[in-house]
Amino acid sequence: MFNSSPITSWEGAEAIFTYADSPLGMAVCFWIMTAMLIVPLVVSYKAEEKAEIDHQ
Amino acid sequence: MTPEEMQAAIEALQGLSNTNLEIFYYWCTAIMILIHAGFLMYEMGASRVKHSLASGTKNILAFAFMIPTFYMFGWLIYLSMWQGFTYDPVWGEFGLPMSAIMGPNMADQATGVFWGAFTLFACTTASILSGAVIERIRMASFVVLAVILGSVVWNLAASWGWHPAGWLVTKFGYHDAVASGVVHTISGFFALGVLINLGPRIGKFNTDGSANVIRGHSLPMTITGLMLIVVGFFGFIGACVLYNYGTNGGWVNIYGGPTTLSAYLFNTLMAVAGGIIGCYACTRDPFWMMSGALCGVISAAAGLDLWYPPLAFAIAFAGGFLGPWAAKQIEKMGIDDAVGAVAVHGVCGVWGLLAVGIFLGGYPGFSSWDGFEVPPINMTGQVVGAAVMIATGFIPGYVLSWIFNKLGILRAGDGVQRDGMDNELEGIAYPEEIRSR
Repeated sequence: MFNSSPITSWEGAEAIFTYADSPLGMAVCFWIMTAMLIVPLVVSYKAEEKAEIDHQ
Repeated sequence: MTPEEMQAAIEALQGLSNTNLEIFYYWCTAIMILIHAGFLMYEMGASRVKHSLASGTKNILAFAFMIPTFYMFGWLIYLSMWQGFTYDPVWGEFGLPMSAIMGPNMADQATGVFWGAFTLFACTTASILSGAVIERIRMASFVVLAVILGSVVWNLAASWGWHPAGWLVTKFGYHDAVASGVVHTISGFFALGVLINLGPRIGKFNTDGSANVIRGHSLPMTITGLMLIVVGFFGFIGACVLYNYGTNGGWVNIYGGPTTLSAYLFNTLMAVAGGIIGCYACTRDPFWMMSGALCGVISAAAGLDLWYPPLAFAIAFAGGFLGPWAAKQIEKMGIDDAVGAVAVHGVCGVWGLLAVGIFLGGYPGFSSWDGFEVPPINMTGQVVGAAVMIATGFIPGYVLSWIFNKLGILRAGDGVQRDGMDNELEGIAYPEEIRSR
């Protein structure tokens, strides 16, 4: 659906990962991953703040 | 054989060699994961029941966060910062997360396996912090500190002292074959910086300053975990040897200098034994006896490629004595290091670096990079290297944890500690709800 293949033939293929020929595609994936690392930490900070109040 | 047949045979051998390289590092990386299985058991066993799941979760999260962050910037730092704080764009290109070789690539059989092995080195470095801070550090802050340690700080040190062109190597002849300094000293002193700001567990110290022993809920689990770490070390140590170029059967050390896998195996086994016996001789404590294996390997690690095996045993034995003694001194200073990480990794790491200066002086230096002259191994280089490792580990650990502490996000409150850190998680450690004293 996303047409992410960087190659049209296996002959002489080098970088074969999704979006290897698309800096934009790679950037989108990269920043999605970054967000997926940050959001759980923010959620964890909030949960810990709540726990501090609950266990006072 | 015609020239064409000869060429085809050479190409076939080259292909086989690349395949061997991939196989070797792939399995070294897999074996290194046992270090994390070991840390998991070790830290959970060293925790009281009410904190045991939180200790385990913290350990698993450090592992999980390290992998993507090492992909994002850790590998880049290692490859590109060998001159100090100056970025080398030529080598940096190979570590950029959007480089063509940082993913499946039919023309590159090396980057993925080297990246994987270094990622596991990073995970190990971060996990060393994990044990020291159990039972009172907040999860999210710990994860951030672990990422900074594993994906920034140690990479910088490794680029300086564990790289064929690193400035510590080329200017001072610093020798640290299996990372006594760049992994263990760094992480041990980073942990010390954090512990100063984090403070002790509730009940660790009395008002007169004397210390209480806080026993974990499962010493057998802790000891078994330590043995798993030892098993994992064989993967770690294997991945410190480079395969596929060089003249001695294709093996070279991390600097590109000639070595053999046999050299590492002789001395690793001797160091494990020396450390265990050294610790047992001075403590009779099963926890320290198994920690002694780590003390031994870490003490011998910097010169693991060069020791005469009985000397490796003796250096490890001394490390086995040094570890528990240093832990006592740290405790007397009012610092609560729950598993002795500062002593085992930081102090024994420094001892390992100095031991190289004392016993291996005069060995010729070697760099696989053209145009670099490396001085012979010498005491000055090891002292400078140890000082750099201590400072590079301690300063960011102390400063970051100081900031987190001021923000009130470093330490769990007394209520959370009293009721148990596991209350923040789903599930309970044991169905019978075994309680600690």
